[in-house]
Amino acid sequence: MKEKISNQIRGCLRLRLTGAAPERFFNLCRTNRIEVWDLQCKKSGYEFSVGLKDFYRIRPYVRKAGVRVRIAGRRGLPFFLQRNRRRKGYAAGILVFFGILFFMSRFLWAISVTGNYTISDDSFLHYLDSQEIRYGILKHKVDCDALEENIRSSFPEIIWVSARISGTQLLIRVKENDGVPVKEHEEPEPSDLVADMPGTVTRMIVRQGRPQVRIGDQVETGQILVSGRIPIYDDSEKLVKENQVCADADIYARTFSGYQEKLSKFRTVRAYSGRERQGLGLRLGPVDFVWMLPWDTEYNWQTMVTERQLCLFDDFYFPVWISRIQKKEYILYEQFLTNEEVLAKKENIHQEKLQNFLKKGVPIIENNVKIQDKGSYYEIQGEFVLEQKIGTRQRILYEPPEPVAENENQQ
Amino acid sequence: MIEKWCQGGWSLFEKVRMAAAEELKLPRDVVAGDVLVNFVGRNSVTVENYRGILIYDDSRIRLQASRCKIHISGKNLHIDYYSHDAMKISGQIVSLEFVD
Repeated sequence: MKEKISNQIRGCLRLRLTGAAPERFFNLCRTNRIEVWDLQCKKSGYEFSVGLKDFYRIRPYVRKAGVRVRIAGRRGLPFFLQRNRRRKGYAAGILVFFGILFFMSRFLWAISVTGNYTISDDSFLHYLDSQEIRYGILKHKVDCDALEENIRSSFPEIIWVSARISGTQLLIRVKENDGVPVKEHEEPEPSDLVADMPGTVTRMIVRQGRPQVRIGDQVETGQILVSGRIPIYDDSEKLVKENQVCADADIYARTFSGYQEKLSKFRTVRAYSGRERQGLGLRLGPVDFVWMLPWDTEYNWQTMVTERQLCLFDDFYFPVWISRIQKKEYILYEQFLTNEEVLAKKENIHQEKLQNFLKKGVPIIENNVKIQDKGSYYEIQGEFVLEQKIGTRQRILYEPPEPVAENENQQ
Repeated sequence: MIEKWCQGGWSLFEKVRMAAAEELKLPRDVVAGDVLVNFVGRNSVTVENYRGILIYDDSRIRLQASRCKIHISGKNLHIDYYSHDAMKISGQIVSLEFVD
C-alpha cells in the first residue's frame, strides 16, 4: 500500500516490450537494480510497470538487449499535474478545499465523554458550556489541564479525569467512584431518637442513650424511642444534673406500607397504516435543511431520525450532520384491556413496589394486593408488612435551668 | 560427515563453509545462497536467492538459482514484482521443478 502511494506520487509508466530477448532485458534491469513490477506476458508483447526515474535509466539496456519499448500508459501525480496544468479553477478548487480543511481544523467540532455512569452526558455538556467550552470554539482556547482540575473539583464523585484534544474532537475520559461516598465526619450533637413511622418494636440494640420503649410496644410517629438525656441522681435519688448525649441505637419495628394506584380500563394502540415516507436532513452548524415530501397532517406520523456527524479519518469532525428521516403513518385508537392483561399489569405494578423494598434490603413479612372495579377505572391496592429500621435523630433543645427552683434549694 | 561433504562436487572452500554453517546452526540460504521457495496456496509463489530469468511466458517461468534451475509451469503466470533477490509469481501454478 505504502509503495503504491509512493509510486502514485512519484509517477510510473506502463511499458510494452517487444523483441527477441526480453529475458536478457529483465536480467539487465535486475542486475542494475531497476525496479520492475506487474510483469505480464501478452500476445502483443510483455507489459510491465517502471518508475518515472528508472524509465530514463533503461535506455542503454534496451539497446543492449535489442528490444523495443513503447509507453502504454502514464500514471501518477507528475502526469496528472501536467495534464491539468491549464485548468486553473481545478487547482484553485483543490487549494480552497485544503484551505477550508485547515481553517476548520482550528476549531472544536465534537465533544466525547466516556466512563460516566451517574453523571449524564447532558450534565457534562451543560457544565462544559458553563466553562465556555462548546462546539465551534477555537481549539487553543481549551486548556485541558485546567479543565481536568475544574471537573475534579466540581464533581466530587469523579476520582480520575483525562481531557485531551484529538483532531477536532475533545475527548474526556472519567472514572467515577464505585464505592459508597464517604460522609464528612459530623460532630455528634445531643439528640433523641424518634420514630419516623408507626409500628411495633420487634428488636432493639441501644448503644448510647436511655431507651424509652420495649420490644412489643406500639410506637407512633414522633414518639421518642431512645432519649439523649441521661439524668444523674445522687444517693438520695435526687436529680443532680442531666447529661445530654447523641442517642445511638438500632430499633427495628414491624411496619405497614400500602399504596393505591389507578389503572385505566383502556389502552392506546398504535396501528400502522403502512404508508411510509423517507427523507434526508442536512445540518450545517445551526442551520437545518430537510428534503422530504410534504405529508398530510390528518393522521399521526412516527418519526425516526438517524443522524451522523461528518468525520474524516477517526477524529477530524466537521460541523456537518447528515440525517436519514423515516416516517411511518399510524392511527391511535383505544382498546379494552382483557382480564389477563389487567392481571398482568396489576402483577407488574405490585412487583415493582416489592422490588423497591427488596433493593433497600427491607425484609417483607407479608404482602397482599387486590384490584377493585371502580366503574371507569380499576384501583389496585397493595399492602406490605415489613420489618425495618425506624428512628431518626431529633436535636435536644437547650433548656436553661430554672432559677426559681435554684433559689428554693438555697433557702 | 566428510563423505557427505565430498558429495555434490563442492570445492574445499564450500565444504569448509558448509561445515562451519552446520556447526554454528546458520541457515543454508544465508551461508550457501541456496534458493528459498515460499508457496501461498497454489496461486502464489515467492522465490528468493535466484540468479536470473531464463525464460518467461504466460505458461512457464524458468529461473537460474545458485546450484540448480527452477522450472515453474502453469496458466496465466505473471510476475507481481522482481528485485535483485526476490521474485513473486502469481497465477495458476501447476508444478515447480528443480533441474540440475
